[in-house]
Amino acid sequence: MIPSMAPAPADQAETTTAAAAPARNAGRAAITKLSGHRLFASPGAVAGLVWLAALVTASVTAPLWLPFKTEDQDFTAVLSGPTAAHWLGTDELGRDILSRIFAAAAGTLGTSMLTVIVGVGLGTILAMLAAGAGGRAEGVISRVTEVMMSLPGTVIILAVIGAVGTNIPVVMAILGILMSAGIYRVILGQAKSLQSQLYVDAAKVDGASPLRISLRHVLPGLANTIVVQAALIFAVGMLIQAGLAFIGFGPPIPQPSWGGMIQGASQHVYDAPWMMVPTGAVLALTVLSANAIGNALGKAPNAAAPHLPSTAARRQRAKAVAAIAAAPVHVTKDGAPDGETAVGTLSVRNLSVGVDSPGAGNGVRLVTDVSLDVEQGTVLGLVGESGCGKTMTALSLLGLLPSGVSVTGGQILWNGRNLAATTDKDMEAVRGREIALISQEPMRALDPMFTVGYQLTATIRRLRGMGKGEARKEALSLLEKVGIVDAAQILKTYPHQISGGMAQRVAIALALSGNPKLLVADEPTTALDVTVQAEILSLLRALVKDTGMSVVMVTHDLGVVADICDQVAVMYAGQVVENGRTAAILDSPRHPYTLALLAADPHANHADSMPERLATISGQVPQPKDWPAGCRFAARCQFAGSACLEPVPLLPSGAGEGLVRCVKADQLAVEGMDWLATDVPASRLLEITPKQTLLTEKDMA
Amino acid sequence: MALFITKRLLMALATVLVVAVLAFLLVHAMPGSPGAVSLGAGASQEAIDAVNQRMGWNDPLFAQFCTWLGSAIQGDLGISLIDGRSVSADLASRLPVTASLAAGATILSAVLGIGLGVTAAVRGGALDQAIGGFVGLLVALPAFWVGVLFVYLFAVQSSIFPATGYVPFEVSPQDWALSLALPVITLAVGGAAFIARQTRASMLEALQQEHIRTLRATATPTWKILYVHALRYASLPIVAGIALQFIGLFGGSVIAEQLFAMPGLGQAVQTSVSTHDAPAVQGVVVIATVVVVAVNLVLELATKFLDPKLRAS
Ligand code: SF4
Repeated sequence: MIPSMAPAPADQAETTTAAAAPARNAGRAAITKLSGHRLFASPGAVAGLVWLAALVTASVTAPLWLPFKTEDQDFTAVLSGPTAAHWLGTDELGRDILSRIFAAAAGTLGTSMLTVIVGVGLGTILAMLAAGAGGRAEGVISRVTEVMMSLPGTVIILAVIGAVGTNIPVVMAILGILMSAGIYRVILGQAKSLQSQLYVDAAKVDGASPLRISLRHVLPGLANTIVVQAALIFAVGMLIQAGLAFIGFGPPIPQPSWGGMIQGASQHVYDAPWMMVPTGAVLALTVLSANAIGNALGKAPNAAAPHLPSTAARRQRAKAVAAIAAAPVHVTKDGAPDGETAVGTLSVRNLSVGVDSPGAGNGVRLVTDVSLDVEQGTVLGLVGESGCGKTMTALSLLGLLPSGVSVTGGQILWNGRNLAATTDKDMEAVRGREIALISQEPMRALDPMFTVGYQLTATIRRLRGMGKGEARKEALSLLEKVGIVDAAQILKTYPHQISGGMAQRVAIALALSGNPKLLVADEPTTALDVTVQAEILSLLRALVKDTGMSVVMVTHDLGVVADICDQVAVMYAGQVVENGRTAAILDSPRHPYTLALLAADPHANHADSMPERLATISGQVPQPKDWPAGCRFAARCQFAGSACLEPVPLLPSGAGEGLVRCVKADQLAVEGMDWLATDVPASRLLEITPKQTLLTEKDMA
Repeated sequence: MALFITKRLLMALATVLVVAVLAFLLVHAMPGSPGAVSLGAGASQEAIDAVNQRMGWNDPLFAQFCTWLGSAIQGDLGISLIDGRSVSADLASRLPVTASLAAGATILSAVLGIGLGVTAAVRGGALDQAIGGFVGLLVALPAFWVGVLFVYLFAVQSSIFPATGYVPFEVSPQDWALSLALPVITLAVGGAAFIARQTRASMLEALQQEHIRTLRATATPTWKILYVHALRYASLPIVAGIALQFIGLFGGSVIAEQLFAMPGLGQAVQTSVSTHDAPAVQGVVVIATVVVVAVNLVLELATKFLDPKLRAS
């Protein structure tokens, strides 16, 4: 066959959807460096490289070693299968198939390369031009390539053959021109995102010429995609060339070609079916090799995990859940054992969450030993920087951890039932009906393909078992309850037609449709405008008061905590470092990290005591694999000392019923030390340099 | 929406016109004048010149193109240089063959491809890898080779299907279907592989969307998340992929028609190019373009209709 003129999609999202939905992907076109590592990590690609290298060597040196000339006819062995003399058999004229395959290889590979050079070259140049110029020029080029892609390329190539004859190099070059359109489409998005990089802007400000920018800054970033496309086009070129030869438009007659040989074999499928095999296999292997190389290089390095894991992943998850259920219950000093918690309360006990490891050992830990309590009708704030494990903790409450991450220990006691040991199937009865979720970006949390009305009524019908009409009425009243005035109108709209604040109200209404007792809110105001934030917070406050539900509010914003939370748990590097009543913690924080957060937050400081300069926390949150055995904050703490290198327990803080995880908490409280906004004075500097002396748990193990 | 459709229609017209000019120029670059081609070897130079004169071959190119375009718009694509038959009539009788072939192959590859792609994305694990390997193999196998294999298996070894030939629908619907079976399956192998990859990637992308988590958080049953919400989201790129695939399959029919001796457009291209039959080449290129552009237009409108954002604007 002559495949579509569009390049075959690589086995990855980056190129496949780029052509179809460029807008959707434009923002995150992965910019990957050409990676030999990825190439050699794939056994298929390595085998492909070996095969291609062997084929090229064999065909270039063919005259030296081939047992027969391509035109030698052996009438004693016509249409023979493999024999000692003819390893791959002979054709109808007694010509040696092995010799003919390798004699044809150089021409096939060389002319396919021509298609690659013309197609990928032209496509890349057009894409860089369009990305550099933007605006009208880009529009024109894109329009032209669109037209090119919608042409019956095969028919046009045949008409070209009518005009220029079976001059294979010319035909393959023109094929390259036709295929450049598809390549342009793939490369454009990436070239555009490279053009918008900061260093490109900087080069522009420096007065670098557009040509220089394209060559120096854009082209290197495209290298990987270009090689991927080249490999895929090479394969398509070979198939097309063989197809043309098959229908009689191959190289002039005595010259062998793979397609021509298969055509010859097809005439003898009745009396010598074997003839099909060698040539077909060599062609298929060569195409497979090129595709394997392209796919290995094109693999998106870290694709996002699906929110609904595959069947295989869910089976894996079920095993993890069963292991949790079978594990002996680890009762802490203050932990209530199973069954004793009151209705409507959540108590998380010693929860650990980690990345699933493919082997037997444990994967990277994301959350360790977290315990929380939420009384009915109260709001618990889960505060910390991004990456501290607060979202993972929150998602584990609903059993909605992303694919590849699971609960590795501890209990999530909801009304006395351990949700950590509950199967996904049974969690379906909990989700929405007892525990609901609202998330950070309301626009993305709603399905863009369905109207608000459909999403809301379908959910109400499912969770409350209502009929259609009743559910619609309930949807209207829910929307009004979350403060939407023209509810009937909103029901008819699609999510993209409403504002972010409106969408968050809809998302809240959706979460309320099952009358949940606990709402998990993952940064529900972060993506919204400041005024809208306040509205959403007061809506949530009113809902807590009216419905008596509890809320776990995940946030990095102490202003939100002050505004709505009764209790707060401050998380750092997968642990709770301080918890207690909101007022107590905001007024007299004990943990240095909490001190630092407060000092760094303009909203948390009272207007009269607003410091001249906001404090900063130097350094970065350590990666989970670098968590030290001692205090995980030690590397950034202004008060760190040698005592901080030992594991630090969570102890009563003295402020209310709160707990704090710091060896110096009491001392700091007594001395009334503050987190300093200025540079740390030498006297308070660490007496140790963290990198060298801090032991990690791995070292100790 | 109306503006969008008008724009697209104009673009489709422009595409056809550009291809018509291109075909006209290519045909003029073909070796041999119409007189030489139609009279064959051994004709006297005077006779050849006379024919060329009568056909306007020596007129300015632009005038010739306008004459051709004028009659083409009225449905007259000229007369074959080889057998003197009307090109339009010939192509009209061939179109249904290629249309059945391409439509059948598109539908079959869409069904198989979506099935395989969705299964791979949804099941994951070992099955996903197995399907990935299988699909990779199908992509690499040349369709003509697969076609010969099918002939060997189903027509030579067990004569379930006729090896070659085409039976018009009017003659016998059952034989029509049987005669189409092998060529359609042959073409669909590569098409299904392409669509399977597109579908798998689109499904995985859909499942990474955050609204899938919202659906799970509201206890939506898994089948509904997969087959109502995720598939709906993935349908846009899948339909776009099918549109691309149709173009490829239309081209692929050249080979399938040759292999299975089907009197379709592909065969017409092949023979008219080999015999330097200028009007026939020109006609078939334009007709093929019209068909492909029209089908694409319809599929594109379908994708736009599937996308609420574009439908509303
Ligand atoms: S334990 Fe030491 S390092 Fe950790 S927060 Fe307290 S003072 Fe700082």
